Amino acid sequence: MSNESINKEVSETYDCVVVGAGNGGLIAAAQVAMKGAKVLLLEQHNLPGGFASSFVRGRFEFETSLHELYDYGPLSNKGGIRVLFEDRLNLESEFIRVPEAYRLILTDPGEDINIVLPFGIEEYLDTIEKEVPGSRESVKKFFDLAKEIDDATTYIGKTKGNPEQEVLLKEHSNFLKTAGYSVDDIQDSLNMPDKARKILNAYWVYLGLPTSRVNFTIFASMVYGYILKGAYIPKNRSHEYTTALDKKIREFGGKIEYNTKVERIIVENGKVVGIETSKGKKIKTNYVISNASPTLVYNKLIYPKSEVPEIAYKEINARRHGVSTFVVYMGLNATAEELGLEDYSYFINKSMDTDELYSLLNELKAPDVQATICLNKAIPDCSPPGTCIMSITTAFLPGVWDNVKPEEYVNLKNRIAEDLINKFEKATGIKVKDHIEEIEIATPETLARFTGTFNGVVYGYEPDSWDSFIPRLMAMNDEKHIEGLEFCGGFGRRCHGYSSSLKDGETAGLLTLQSMIKKGVLK
Amino acid sequence: MNEKNEDRFDITIKSNTKDLFAFMKLVPNRKKRIEKASNEPIKLDPMNQLARKLHPNRQYLIIDDIKEETKSTKTFKLIPDNNSETKELAYFRPGQYLSLKVEVNGVLITRPYSIASSPNDALNGFYELTIRKEEHGFLTHYLWDNWRVGTRVESSGPEGFFYYEPLRDLEQIVGIAGGSGITPFRSIAKAIIEGIIDAKLTLLYGSSEEDDIIYYNEFKELENKYPDKIKVIYILSCEEVNLEGCEQGFITAGIIEKHCDVKNSSFFICGPQIMYNFVENEMKKFNLPFKRVRREAFGEIKDALKIPGFPQDIAEKYYQIKVQIGDLTKEIPALSTESILVALERAKLAPPSKCRSGECGFCRTLLVSGDIFISPISDWRRAADKKFNYFHSCASYPISDLEIKIPRHL
Repeated sequence: MSNESINKEVSETYDCVVVGAGNGGLIAAAQVAMKGAKVLLLEQHNLPGGFASSFVRGRFEFETSLHELYDYGPLSNKGGIRVLFEDRLNLESEFIRVPEAYRLILTDPGEDINIVLPFGIEEYLDTIEKEVPGSRESVKKFFDLAKEIDDATTYIGKTKGNPEQEVLLKEHSNFLKTAGYSVDDIQDSLNMPDKARKILNAYWVYLGLPTSRVNFTIFASMVYGYILKGAYIPKNRSHEYTTALDKKIREFGGKIEYNTKVERIIVENGKVVGIETSKGKKIKTNYVISNASPTLVYNKLIYPKSEVPEIAYKEINARRHGVSTFVVYMGLNATAEELGLEDYSYFINKSMDTDELYSLLNELKAPDVQATICLNKAIPDCSPPGTCIMSITTAFLPGVWDNVKPEEYVNLKNRIAEDLINKFEKATGIKVKDHIEEIEIATPETLARFTGTFNGVVYGYEPDSWDSFIPRLMAMNDEKHIEGLEFCGGFGRRCHGYSSSLKDGETAGLLTLQSMIKKGVLK
Repeated sequence: MNEKNEDRFDITIKSNTKDLFAFMKLVPNRKKRIEKASNEPIKLDPMNQLARKLHPNRQYLIIDDIKEETKSTKTFKLIPDNNSETKELAYFRPGQYLSLKVEVNGVLITRPYSIASSPNDALNGFYELTIRKEEHGFLTHYLWDNWRVGTRVESSGPEGFFYYEPLRDLEQIVGIAGGSGITPFRSIAKAIIEGIIDAKLTLLYGSSEEDDIIYYNEFKELENKYPDKIKVIYILSCEEVNLEGCEQGFITAGIIEKHCDVKNSSFFICGPQIMYNFVENEMKKFNLPFKRVRREAFGEIKDALKIPGFPQDIAEKYYQIKVQIGDLTKEIPALSTESILVALERAKLAPPSKCRSGECGFCRTLLVSGDIFISPISDWRRAADKKFNYFHSCASYPISDLEIKIPRHL
């Protein structure tokens, strides 16, 4: 399509169009609109948030996917997300601190771990030392390394991505020396006792990759973030802050259209020139920030196809898509206390052999891996008096659900859900089944349906060392193939997860603004 | 900086050089992997495809057959419209509904109708909807006059939560149906005998007179064939009752107790609003937990003045609504006793909606300014939507001039 023809059919022109109102897209749109650019945010669903949402069944309102937000932090020690929400955007949303880090229960015969871990580095070290005498030093080294990563990334951020080699080598050598390794590589060299490793690695499930593969830098940053500053959740579910963001974008002069899918991103001579929506409307713009993944954009949205460079397909095919999730949401007609639910977050696995656990995610049955939440333990009044909300989450690798037929779907998801509930009951001795007043089950299909994510993938691309956030950031400019197109969100630079997606949205917004200023679109 | 790092340890994983080299090689390794990868586009997305099959945004259907059930009810058999993108019908859970989108005299409206056929029938290419002609029904009069074999009908995918859920419900289902509220139970009964759901159904079915009973012969046959699975008790409210073995009057606690094991059943109620009010009041006596009583959303409230708390003094008043829908801004009139959704439809704005009962949230609307009354019996809004002034237009009424913002229909 030539510029002429788009000019003829075009109904509107925007400085920037944001594709998708998930965590990344919302922040990116807010960021760009805040600086006075004319922004249009398009979302195929009728709500903002993508995975960050909520839904109502009967007397209950369920959190769709967030377990706990990291990098929010207390007032006295704000994390990046809190600074973004409170100080930069002044969002009308309230967050509540989660009481403890997690309970880890291992269920295989011969395993003897059933332990609650607190927040706070010292408290955390004390608890592990008590459980595994003699482990303190090695676990402390893990946190020291994590702190150094944190310091190094802060330094790199301050230099706007242009750090001095000498400073890095002198002040942050541990950051450099660990960046090419997996979690196992580092923990082996720290001589950490096996049991301490098991306890420390419980958060592996949030990255969805075994410790033999997951990059140390990203794993250590995450664990450090949680333990140092605690974890937080929105008081009125994630729908609260995403709706607050919607309001903010409109206050900044941005426009949002729901029920509107972007069908095409129109590219000409390697440059974005516009988009086309499911309502048949063509919009002229030179900037697109896509919350939709590179997988979707390059395979489905770029028009004409001849504008997709071969290398873009190669990049996608070289990377590995992360897991999708499976969630059993339950509104129970008894309180957490009545049921004996003592903790907010339960990690329940057969063992901590994460290679084996990961391989279990490749079968079409309930894996012995679950992360279970009782929301009322953080927000006592999140459901009516006499009730509580519980959710059990597990994951499946891409492809596992591919051959499920519509007529088998409900029985299959019910069977898996029931197994997960049974496994929870067996591991904790807490009986919940008779108290189910409302139940809803989300599968990879559900996630594909509501967010449009490719094949239901939730965890972006897998963060092996070569595809963790450091190489992603370092290769960022080389991997930009279309002028005016930025990506953000769970498939973005910082890998998946709420905090990463939100911050990545901010980066995408800033990069777009920079380019606009350079091109004179914006002052 | 250096002082701070005094007790800092220096890690060595393999060797100092190798460790730094591992870092230096990150990007070159990445490039190598990318260079070696396939350059083929990804063509398949099975999960997105399954999502489209289970939950199509639209289904284009065509009427294949019409059967007179009673003097005021007809069953419409719907099949995929071959000249459309709909090649197969979405599978569903018995008890779910379709939201039909019909243009009546230039006004595009939606109506939810429970699917009366079995999920297996959908696999075999048809749905059945049984519809009763309502005395003052805006849509049903139009349907009776205009729907013929061959008429095209646009529908949503299957929607709603009024279905048997084995992880929550007891094996013994007691269905309480009034009038055309029997339609989802026909689907549930068929699913039971076809082995799709493992449950038993006792149906208490209230009608005003014998001639109004829908599916009488069909259910008789099912009862005879599957006496351990299906049982129907007819309750007729007319004075004179000749039908053998049926009850006279209304569905009272006494009748429920007489025919059901109240404590060991899951109740599913579907019927007109007036029946809910009566039956729920009767059932209070049983003091059942919430989880044992499921009710189908009853569609739009017919008489707004009877909603608890409705401000009676503004009855029959007209207000102005400034509507922003997509790119369009329009001023429209709205009657206080009609839902804002109806006002939007009357103004031919084709707003999004599905359940028309406050439940699904598809008609979620932003209140920019003005005051509304929200039906407390149909309020399923999210907490944050309350905080940020969003409402469900199908269950909300104007009580002042308003300004609102809604997305266009999908």
